[in-house]
Amino acid sequence: MTARTARTARTLRTALALLGIAGIGYGVYGLLHDPYIRDPLDVLVWGAGAVVLHDGFWLPLVLLAGTALVRRPLLRGGLVVVAALTAVGLPAVLRAGVDHGNPSLLPLPYLRNYLLLLAAVAVAVAVMAAAPHVPGALRAVAAFVRRSLASWRHRPVRGRRLRD
Amino acid sequence: MRRLRLRNPLDVTLPAPPQALRRGPFKEGTFRSRLHEPRTAVVLGRWLGAAVLICFVTGLISHLLQQPPTWLRDHLPSRPVQGYRVTQGLHVISGIAAIPLLGAKLWVVYPRLFSWPPARTVRHALERLGIALLLAALLLELFTGLLNTLQWYPWPFPFRQTHFWLAWIAVGGLLLHIAAKAPEIAAHWRRTKPALPGRRALLGSVAAAVGAVTLVTAGQTVPWLRSLDLLAPRRPDLGPQGLPVNRTAAQAGTVTTPADWRLRVDGPRPYSLTMEELLALPQTDVDLPIACVEGWSASARWGGVRLRDLLDRAGAAHGALVRVTSLERNGPYAVMTMPHTYARDPLTLLALRVNGQALHPDHGYPARIIAPNRPGVLQTKWVSRLEVL
Repeated sequence: MTARTARTARTLRTALALLGIAGIGYGVYGLLHDPYIRDPLDVLVWGAGAVVLHDGFWLPLVLLAGTALVRRPLLRGGLVVVAALTAVGLPAVLRAGVDHGNPSLLPLPYLRNYLLLLAAVAVAVAVMAAAPHVPGALRAVAAFVRRSLASWRHRPVRGRRLRD
Repeated sequence: MRRLRLRNPLDVTLPAPPQALRRGPFKEGTFRSRLHEPRTAVVLGRWLGAAVLICFVTGLISHLLQQPPTWLRDHLPSRPVQGYRVTQGLHVISGIAAIPLLGAKLWVVYPRLFSWPPARTVRHALERLGIALLLAALLLELFTGLLNTLQWYPWPFPFRQTHFWLAWIAVGGLLLHIAAKAPEIAAHWRRTKPALPGRRALLGSVAAAVGAVTLVTAGQTVPWLRSLDLLAPRRPDLGPQGLPVNRTAAQAGTVTTPADWRLRVDGPRPYSLTMEELLALPQTDVDLPIACVEGWSASARWGGVRLRDLLDRAGAAHGALVRVTSLERNGPYAVMTMPHTYARDPLTLLALRVNGQALHPDHGYPARIIAPNRPGVLQTKWVSRLEVL
């Protein structure tokens, strides 16, 4: 890096930092002076609570699950997808039916849909786990189908036949 | 003369706490995964940063459309017709995508929470404080935003104002974080070979997670994903007359319309019209989306009288601001003001019908406003009065 590009990079970095501080300042000022927010302390408590719950409860749980139980990458990937679906879908599952008299709010069977999605993830993981063996498995299935069809065709015939 | 070099106060070293306190997760080697490393953090940080910035910009657009400052008010464009539908759809889509991205990013950098010593210098302490602020703001933003789409408000503060101010703290914190980490980000911006084993699998899982949550929720606004809409709080075709409702007539106290309902239009030449008289005026049909701030949207065919025809009849000046009053008593959107850019748009209607039928009470019977590129809460229902200001 030449001295000039280093200087430009430093200027940009300082500008970005100042912009960030300005944004934070604007947000904090607004939060403290908004006439509708009666007690900004509430927001602080909920923000701190979110951090404590996430870093002190949720993440240790994930790490424990990761180190103690799950070693296979595919299963791990499936659990990542399940965790995401849970984080996004759980509120709807919990609140299904609470529509304040507005049937167009939360109109779907969320628990069923959530369980369906979990099943879909399980199937996807199982299929991918079997993927290296798929060509062989396919051949085996095809052979099985051929054999069954052949025995079906050559069974003692009474009435209808499959072909001919 | 010797120059006196003052030390930057940010670089003042802080005393390290006694080693005896270094227990539990603070001990070295607690976190065994190889993936708690900067390159993975940079890749995930780029994805998360993009999602957060899209979410911020689209949220700002929504805020400005909903509550414009006076200098901007008369310049808000009524086009593109689908504009708000797209930006607000993106707002909720990027916000939902940010949930697994933030989760993954925080997993990667989690060991840094227990770095030792906790603060080396004043700069380091401030940086960590900034990260705490960024994290708190982001977590609360995503949490309140997600629950708002379900109209679930378990917290003691108002949603809209808090969500708005926290967004500035979150994005400010993000910019500060990028500035603080700039050298590390630059050092790990490009892929190095050989690739770290397991990183691809992790990134693939996170991408799959983002894809999954997007596919099963985006159908509330993206028409061709509707059949996959499994976890979104809305389905664009479910509701009275095949359209969702944000606030019902029962909630607004407007289930029955006064028998003597007339549309009052106040201006230089005030007048009022009964429903028959309104229906006798030239009627227009337009295809317009109703796009809610909560992220769902649906197109419908609206029929009624062009708003500009009603305003012309009252002798309104072209650039006049219009105030629309609803029969609704206490809602925050019972009174709405509309700049001329919308009021004069040929697509803006005082709608009397939707999809060929008279409006359902939940959709604003006897009459509602429908305008292009406007948030749903400003498409005032149960209209009783128009005023030229």
